[in-house]
Order: sequence, then structure tokens, then C-alpha cells
Amino acid sequence: MAPDSNPVPSPLPISCITGRYLLFDIAVISHVRRTHNICGVLIGTIPNLSQQNVFLGIPLELTSEEARVLVERGHAYIVNDVKQHREGLMEMKRADRLEWMKELDRQGMEMSREALLKAEERSEKALRGKGLVGKGHGDTESVNSKAEGDAESLIDDAAKAPVAGVAPEKKLEPTFITPTTSHPPLPLAPISSALPLPAVPKSYPLFRYLHSRGYFFMPGLRFGCNYSVYPGDPLRFHSHFLATGVDWDEEFDLLDIIGGGRLGTGVKKAYLLGGEDSDAQAEVEENGLEVKPVRALSIEWAGL
Amino acid sequence: MKPAVLPSPLQSLIQDEQLQSDRSHLPSLHSLAAQVQHNLQYQHAWSDLRLHTHAPVANELLPRPLLSGLPPQRLYTHPDEQIELLKEAGRARKERKEGNTSALEVKAEPEREWILPTRLSEKWTLRRLAAVFDGITLVPPEPRSVKEQERPANPWRTTKRIVLATADTDSTVVYYIVHDGVVKPRQN
Repeated sequence: MAPDSNPVPSPLPISCITGRYLLFDIAVISHVRRTHNICGVLIGTIPNLSQQNVFLGIPLELTSEEARVLVERGHAYIVNDVKQHREGLMEMKRADRLEWMKELDRQGMEMSREALLKAEERSEKALRGKGLVGKGHGDTESVNSKAEGDAESLIDDAAKAPVAGVAPEKKLEPTFITPTTSHPPLPLAPISSALPLPAVPKSYPLFRYLHSRGYFFMPGLRFGCNYSVYPGDPLRFHSHFLATGVDWDEEFDLLDIIGGGRLGTGVKKAYLLGGEDSDAQAEVEENGLEVKPVRALSIEWAGL
Repeated sequence: MKPAVLPSPLQSLIQDEQLQSDRSHLPSLHSLAAQVQHNLQYQHAWSDLRLHTHAPVANELLPRPLLSGLPPQRLYTHPDEQIELLKEAGRARKERKEGNTSALEVKAEPEREWILPTRLSEKWTLRRLAAVFDGITLVPPEPRSVKEQERPANPWRTTKRIVLATADTDSTVVYYIVHDGVVKPRQN
């Protein structure tokens, strides 16, 4: 896989905004998926097409379990992004701000120029397909230098210039850029300002246990469980388990086991019921984390 | 005098004196085990069914009476074992030079299973299920009659499993396989 264009900070900041854990940087999003088995859910839509919810983009929302497991293992820290932005923008110097605006303009101009070049390339290709390019049709004086030596085409161009659909470069406007992240211009939030560990539901021990064994997670609502658990990246594998986390002494109906087991077997999965053994001795993991062992039971229909 | 309605075989089994005399667990648990045993034996053609009141290793009292028995066919095949069995069957067919027309003959010997009898109205917790698993061995002990010919151990059977038998008030019994641990599902 190609190396990331911009390096991912370690530990990486997770933005906490109104109680949701969000990632805005596409490099970070692919990094956590590739190296930490964290998929999250893309929630970004197009502002003027908010009904379009089939192909969503950044930001990526992490569940509190995903955010917590990243923080507990030292890969990330939680940032109060609202406070961070308010303070960062207040303290920003006027000169820095102007500098940043100029930089955005420069990038926007580059984008516009690239788009123009692409459009011209496209139209030239289309014309060549129709066998028209030899006569010099569709070329503009700004970019295409091939035709310039040809006297005939120069005359031709002069005649056609006002009709040509592409704007000359002097009229090129910079594309307006909305950066997806705010550093730069703002510095990364200091780790000392990190928020405490996210509060997690009671299914968290099962999540942590399965995550430590290399499984991937997707939301489990469509199967009526906490998580659908994948043995590898969900884009490559079918899920193996419908996982539900319970407390050690939490009472459940046998009908829940039968329903989960039957549904799971129907879709070639196993229903997984698990929880933390509250009586057992806590074990210390290599990162110094004290974790009580998790007992998990896989349930399948017997076929009798 | 003959009763107007003869008791059902199940009822006479539950009222068996020997069953009533066993005081290790509550009589309701014993009759539940008898009901499941009856269902397995006569509806699903299981054999060698035995009642276990004490753990086979430590000889401690089990949380409730368990059953062990032999199904007529293999009840559970781990997906990795299934792949191996299919390969084996493919090789055997090639040796017989029958071409791809004849069906694959997959040889999977039936294995003894643990059975946990439960009622649908019960509530369970992870602690109680874990206690049941802690009391059992990987493979149920063989009855004395079979001991001489000793079934070879299946190398694929590496996690404890139990067949959860749940009886409803209408005497329906459903069976689910519960593994002690994260075991990938069968691809059937």
C-alpha cells in the first residue's frame, strides 16, 4: 500500500464534539483501520444534498468503545475540539491569519488550473476521436502549444477564439477550499489537555477482548446485537459473530440465546455472548493495563 | 382397576421410583433431565444416554444433572475439520477412479456430546453457564460397555462444547450448541 502523504501523529488526537468521537483526517482514518482494526462509521454528507446518505464521507464517527480502546492502548487521546478551536482562533495573530488565507488561495488557484488543464485534455481527446484535431479545432492559445507553429491553425484559432468555451487564464478564479482539518493553521492539541477515558456501555469488556484478538467490528443493530464481529477487514470478510456483551451476573432469557443462535445460524454466523468474569484475578497486559478475563460463549443451532 | 387414560411413556419415566430416590438435585431438575433424555432417545434416535449428577473429574456435585449421549450422526463438525474431511473424501474418490460423477463420501464418526437440560422459563447468567462448563470434561466419559474398544480422540475437538436443550411447557425441546470460547461458525 502506498505510504501516507502526511504522517499520522502518534498518539493521534480524537475530536470530541457534543459527546461524539470524530476523526476528520483521511490519513488518520485509513491509519486506524489498517493498523488498529478500527472501522468506525463515516457520517459526512454533502451540505446541500443531505438526503444523499448512501455514500457518506468524512468525518468518521467512532463509538465510545472504539475511542476508548484506542486511548487505553496509548494510540490516541481525546481532545475537546470546541474549546481547542475557540482558543486557537482567538489567539491566532492577524498576520498568521492573512498568511493562511493566502496559502488557501494559492492552493485553490492550483486546483482551478489543474481542473482547466483536465477539461482541455478531455475536449482535445474527444475532438481527436472525431478526427477534428488536425484542423486545430478546440485548441486555446493559453495551453496548447502544439498547434502554434502551424500558421493555418493560428488563423483558424483567431477566428474561433470568442466561441471557445474555456475561459482564458487571466480570468481563472481560485477554487474555494474548505480544509477538512484545522491543523495547520492551528497547532495539534497538547496531550496534557486530553479528556478522560470515554464512558462505555457494559458490552465494552467483550469489545476489548475481541479487539485484542484482532477482530474488526461493525454496528450490530441490523442483527439485533451489540457488534457484528469480522475476522478481518469488513470489506474482505463476512462477519463471524453476532456479539452481545452482558454482565457476569446479569440474568437473560433463554429465548434470547435461542433467538440469537437461530438468527446467527441462518446467516452463517455464530451468536456470541460474553462478559467480564468479575470474580477472576485481573491480569496485567503488556501496556500496563489491568484487565479481568472475559468469558465468551459461541452459540449455534444444533440442527436437531 | 385400570386407569381411564394410560400414563404416557414420558410420565411413567418421570415417575420412575429410581429417579425419585436420587436426592442429589431438586426433583424438578431430575424430571427435566428425564424429559430431555426421553426426547433425545425416542425422537432423535440418540443412544448411550447417561445421567451425570457429579462432575466426572473432581466428582463434585454439578450445578444440575447433565446428560451425555451419542447422536446417530455427527452433530458438530468444526469448519476446519470439515475442509479436511472434504479433501480426504476427494482423495478417496480419486483413488477409486470413479471420476466426478459419484458423490463424495465424507466419513465423520459420531461423537459423544454433553447435554444441558433447561426450561424456557428459566433465567440464566454467564456465571451459571460458566460453572456448568467448569464442571465438564472436553469429551463425556464413555460408558463401561464401550470402554474396551475406546474411540480414538478427535484432534479437532479442542474447546468444550455442550448441547443446550431447552424444553418449553408444550414439551417442545430445541437444541443449541454452545462453545466455551470464541469458535468460528460452520459454513453449511
